[in-house]
Amino acid sequence: MKIDKVKITNFKCYEETFSLSLNDGLNVIVGGNESGKTTILEAVHLALTGLLHGRPLKNDLTNYLFNLGAQTKYIESLGTASPLPPPAITIELFLSGTSSEMAELEGNGNSEKVKASGVIFKIEFDEDNYKEPYEELLKAGALNSIPIEYYHTPMWSFGRKRITARNIPIKSALIDSSNSRLQNGSDVYVSRIIRDVLEEAERASISQAHRKLKDAFGADPNLKLINERITKAAKISQKAVSISVDLSSQTAWESSLMTYIDLIPFQYIGKGEQCVIKTKLALSARKNAEATAILLEEPENHLSHARLNELIADLTDQHGQKQIIISTHSSFVANKLGLDHLIVLRDGEVARISELQANDFFKKLAGYDTLRLALATRAILVEGDSDELVVQRAYMDANGGRLPIQDGIDVISVGTAFLRFLELATVLKIPVAVVTDNDGDTAAVERKYAAYKDSELVRICFDPVVDTGGLTISGKAFNYNTLEPKLLKANGLTTLKAILGVEAATEDQLRIHMRANKTDSALAIFNSATVIAYPDYIQKAIAP
Amino acid sequence: MIGANKIVVAAAGSGKTTYLVEEALKTRGERVLITTYTESNEAEIRQKFFELVGHIPANVVIMTWFSFLITHGVKPFQGSLFDFSITGMVLVSTQSGLRYRTRLGQPVFWPEEEIDKHYFDPSRRAFSDKLPKLAIRCTERSGGAVMDRISRVFPNIFVDEVQDLAGYDLDILTALACSSARLLMVGDPRQVTYLTHHERRHQKYADGGIVDFLRSELRKKAPIDIDETTLNRSHRNSAVICAVSSRLYPALPASQACDCDRCRAAPPPSAGLFILQKGDYDHYLSAVRPIQLRDKITSIGVDHRSLVMNFGESKGRGFDHVVILPTEPMRDWLTNPASDLKPQSRAKFYVAITRARHSVAIAMDWGAAPPPTGFALYERTAPA
Repeated sequence: MKIDKVKITNFKCYEETFSLSLNDGLNVIVGGNESGKTTILEAVHLALTGLLHGRPLKNDLTNYLFNLGAQTKYIESLGTASPLPPPAITIELFLSGTSSEMAELEGNGNSEKVKASGVIFKIEFDEDNYKEPYEELLKAGALNSIPIEYYHTPMWSFGRKRITARNIPIKSALIDSSNSRLQNGSDVYVSRIIRDVLEEAERASISQAHRKLKDAFGADPNLKLINERITKAAKISQKAVSISVDLSSQTAWESSLMTYIDLIPFQYIGKGEQCVIKTKLALSARKNAEATAILLEEPENHLSHARLNELIADLTDQHGQKQIIISTHSSFVANKLGLDHLIVLRDGEVARISELQANDFFKKLAGYDTLRLALATRAILVEGDSDELVVQRAYMDANGGRLPIQDGIDVISVGTAFLRFLELATVLKIPVAVVTDNDGDTAAVERKYAAYKDSELVRICFDPVVDTGGLTISGKAFNYNTLEPKLLKANGLTTLKAILGVEAATEDQLRIHMRANKTDSALAIFNSATVIAYPDYIQKAIAP
Repeated sequence: MIGANKIVVAAAGSGKTTYLVEEALKTRGERVLITTYTESNEAEIRQKFFELVGHIPANVVIMTWFSFLITHGVKPFQGSLFDFSITGMVLVSTQSGLRYRTRLGQPVFWPEEEIDKHYFDPSRRAFSDKLPKLAIRCTERSGGAVMDRISRVFPNIFVDEVQDLAGYDLDILTALACSSARLLMVGDPRQVTYLTHHERRHQKYADGGIVDFLRSELRKKAPIDIDETTLNRSHRNSAVICAVSSRLYPALPASQACDCDRCRAAPPPSAGLFILQKGDYDHYLSAVRPIQLRDKITSIGVDHRSLVMNFGESKGRGFDHVVILPTEPMRDWLTNPASDLKPQSRAKFYVAITRARHSVAIAMDWGAAPPPTGFALYERTAPA
């Protein structure tokens, strides 16, 4: 049993319907801050349990759950001739599995009108009960926000039946860093996880033990004496006044039992340890009738490097049949968990490394560069380290000494893999500049990047002028169309010679030196105190 | 693969519901649906579980035929037919979906293509008489997805009082029989007390033709085992009550009283079948304390200080003593068994008589003629 797909509409940062397919085992969602990673975990948990931050959402509805854009559109429409209906938040989970419970959730009552099992969680205007008050409010022109007091949170199956979380055979274990406590201070999530790990019979026996405890308390002779005294003392009426254990709560044992770790209450142990223990407990569930989806939010937050490594090892080795969704902005975590599980999220766009044409390439590549691109606001792709240094320096010169990364612009040297990185950038809609040599054949460069000719996102920067000369090295013609000779052309022999701190009588001597000492030359340029002139195509790449 | 299908033809008081409940209890690890036409019988099934094991097992779902049709027959795949949400069901007793009447008073109905008017009232409640038809249409449009889903949700489908089903209900039974689910039905063809189907479909199998339908129509599509022996003995009715009630259906094999020691222990002195003169009615009520069974709420002669129940409502129930307030055709039949007794009245009379464990009294004045076979004229005995 698993979640195949989640669709989110109007919830927090997702205005248009956001759709995300999920893999069987591990799903690693990577994205920058504010990219909506946590919202996905919250949405999945909400649709499976009706809980947000450990509390039933129906008691805690607020306007802030709604996407700001949808909210604004609605409010702006209110004064007009055709006001919009009150907006609704929809979270749809497409599920799969073969049990009877899963079959019961089947139908075509979903946004795609297809036969599937699944559930729909809605936060919507309660039309059956509040049509009239709403009409009155609207007429009086008194609405300036979403009338959240008239909203309810129904849960439907794709078979068009109102259901509760109990009807869903997939349980959700959310492991986040929030502080969700029960009344007695016990952590909500660890209690839930423990409850979900237990079989029905085990839950029943805990419940019985708890009941016995209460009865024993009530039957204690001392308590009886005390109650008699209270009754006498409280001469309010003829009725008996007594104290006893609270018997009212339906799920009494869950809320009144505390989880201890080595005799220390769970909430007093370290945050990192809490995260590890919750994860391990959730991983240990071994039930046939129910599946567990583990939702893990940014595990890197409270863990030391070593503990993080251990947790990741557990996740990769032990997940078995369990579906795990992890959000992270740590390239370390993402890289460790394997790039083929990676879902890159950016402004509501989703890219999976496994679906890119270049996926073989990215799988072999250490994940860091991939993630650098995915997490950058903008990127400048260059061929090698020396190009990277020169472009950085050019950017600093143009921006009052600020490094590009300080502005969220990552300069990444990609070797010859420009097109592969461009594929990822295009899917994620990341603005990218490519700095490339023309290598003496501008037509070839144009052909290579033809697909990006009119792209608004991708800027291909190369020198349109082909330089030529008679220099040969070891019998081969010198390439006049790489960065170094272009820099020489822009700055002249005297200036560049001084910057590099080398003696060279002719331009060719300097060309040969720079060719042989690429990185040193680039470093010298990067550290130069003198003002440097840059070829136009470099200027174009660093332009805002 | 087609699941096992079976109907057990049962006599009144033979323990149909107990049989189904016991079968359900035997089925472990798989979901079981138990469905029946009436709400009172649905309650009876629940009650039976509590009597036998004290709870309803987690794998057992009990729902009426109509809720089953709405929840599992229509809603899951209604999308291929219509898009609005169904707000509920409205029970109708005449053909639904009236468009208008001609000047001559002839009714004209909405055609099937007008889905929202043919199947639904203005507040989008489904007409009870059209629900099975709508479910069949959803099945057809979804390419069988409806039945495929049901058979996975409920690998075991039990139908109690199956004789109440008619019209498109029979097509649904057929589709269920062809699915991978195990279909187990029990019913008594003599107890068709509800005539709520106005569809012309399968008209010839109305009024107790369920077994004929299964034998001649359903068997063409799926194998079915017809069991007429397991439940052919009444644990409720005494031998004389069996004999008298069987006379209402001379074409069917007469029901037999069981010979369990427990059922047959010490019948009270008031046992037997009686004709109860009106003058003795009050006396009889206070002396024997029977339940009064009447045709409908407007039937006259009822003593409202004592227990009373309609014939239809009493189906499935058992009482030590009953007193029946007969309708005119029933009275006629008693005087002359060759008189015309309509199928529904016949069924109701049969149901009424077979409610009793020990005694049946018919409240009617009887002349000087000898009482009908099996009956005695009730005579007051001096209080001891």
